[in-house]
Amino acid sequence: MMINFSIGIFLATLIVSILSTRLLKLIFWYGVNSFFLGLLAIFIGFKQGDSVLIFSGVITLIFKAFTIPYYLKKFAIKFNLKRDVESDVKVHFNVMLIPVLIVFSFYLVSPFAHTVGQNSNYVAISISSLFLSLLLLIEHISVAPKIVGFLLMENSLFLLGITATGGMPMLIELGVFFDLMMAIVVINLLLKEERAI
Amino acid sequence: MILYIFTIIFFILSSPFFIGVIKSLKMFLLYKKPVSLFQGYYNFQKLLCKENIISSESSIITKVGPFLVLSPLIVVLFFLPPIFSKSFYVGFVDAFTIIGLISLSTFFLMLIGLDSGNSFGGIGSSREAFISSLVEPAMVLTVFSIGLMAKDIGVANASVNLAHNFPKEHMASFLFSAISFFILLLAENGRLPVDNPETHLELTMVHEAMILDLSGFYLLLIELAGSIKYIIFASLFVSLFLPFGLELSPFLAFMVFVLKILFVSVVIALVEINGAKLRLFKVPNLLGLSIIFSFLSLISFYVLG
Repeated sequence: MMINFSIGIFLATLIVSILSTRLLKLIFWYGVNSFFLGLLAIFIGFKQGDSVLIFSGVITLIFKAFTIPYYLKKFAIKFNLKRDVESDVKVHFNVMLIPVLIVFSFYLVSPFAHTVGQNSNYVAISISSLFLSLLLLIEHISVAPKIVGFLLMENSLFLLGITATGGMPMLIELGVFFDLMMAIVVINLLLKEERAI
Repeated sequence: MILYIFTIIFFILSSPFFIGVIKSLKMFLLYKKPVSLFQGYYNFQKLLCKENIISSESSIITKVGPFLVLSPLIVVLFFLPPIFSKSFYVGFVDAFTIIGLISLSTFFLMLIGLDSGNSFGGIGSSREAFISSLVEPAMVLTVFSIGLMAKDIGVANASVNLAHNFPKEHMASFLFSAISFFILLLAENGRLPVDNPETHLELTMVHEAMILDLSGFYLLLIELAGSIKYIIFASLFVSLFLPFGLELSPFLAFMVFVLKILFVSVVIALVEINGAKLRLFKVPNLLGLSIIFSFLSLISFYVLG
């Protein structure tokens, strides 16, 4: 029940962040999204008795839900970024696109549903959230929302990892976290560049 | 049967109180000196003492309209879900009837707006029609999906079913329809992201613009209709989406119900002080969000559960 609830909130925050037009709100929704991803990892870890999954859930909570949104907000204020991020795709099209993407991903999963067992619905949701974050990535022009879209995409990949395979190896997850932190540092440079332009 | 009649009388009498709770909580949070919780009743008393002035431009609609706005909402009160376990309730009425009756009341409100002597009435009516036409599809989808989860399309039956066996396996679907219904609650009652209930600025008015011409007893009827509409939506929200406490003893069940309605009022007040009013042409974005969530709730009922 709690797993269903967390997945629901995960998808809901993703959709809200697609439709939101303010940068700081977008970052806030990213934080909520990763918070529930972390909770989800912890719940699944407890259910399977997998201590590694619990550990990576805790790391997700600390880094993705609090540290990265905090730094992104700090950068947004420091570099005086444009806070008003209108999407290129109109909301009226999004209203049709989002359900279509979600339904489509359920059909996409059905050929290999038997290989992932009873979790096939979760896999479908994570693939659809992958598409949705791709939509977020392509519907904005400016750099800052694209970064958030990239981070949301990473979240969906993490969800895919924990629902399809029951947890990736520890080393890979730590590597991904390290990559993310590096990405944030690189983004800092990028934003400096954008301000110069 | 006594409990049933008590429920209806309670809804009618207490509805100005809950509006007063929202208003005074908002004022308290904005560091103003809050108005009394019973300010609604004082206003009604004041309006009763005033005389009715009717514009010479207006026709008979302005005289009969306020009664026709109020009466469908009174009828809806008889069909609401029960708040006591052994209470009588009307089970066969489905949500589409309730939506239809509420739309009927909105229709007469728009007629009053068109009938009024000034030009703002027409603006208000057109905006109200715009918003309520967007609310309708989301409302139908939300109610349909909650009916699927409760295995009964009648509202009262659905809420009793939900209270007795909660659909744990459809948690995600339940959550989506709750979000969607909450947005609809804000939009239909003219709360802040869609319409500011306190302002009289002509650029932002929706609800107030339609009733600018009314005074005295007619204004009282419209204000009462507004507060009853709020209590209808809040009661539907708490009995469909917070379905617990029904099996307790009558007194406790009643206290739990009042607490739940107060909780909804507090959440609305918090939403209102934290957000600004949307531009009128941005309102479809918010209601589009609601449509997406209601659609998602329907999809995830079939594929997740």
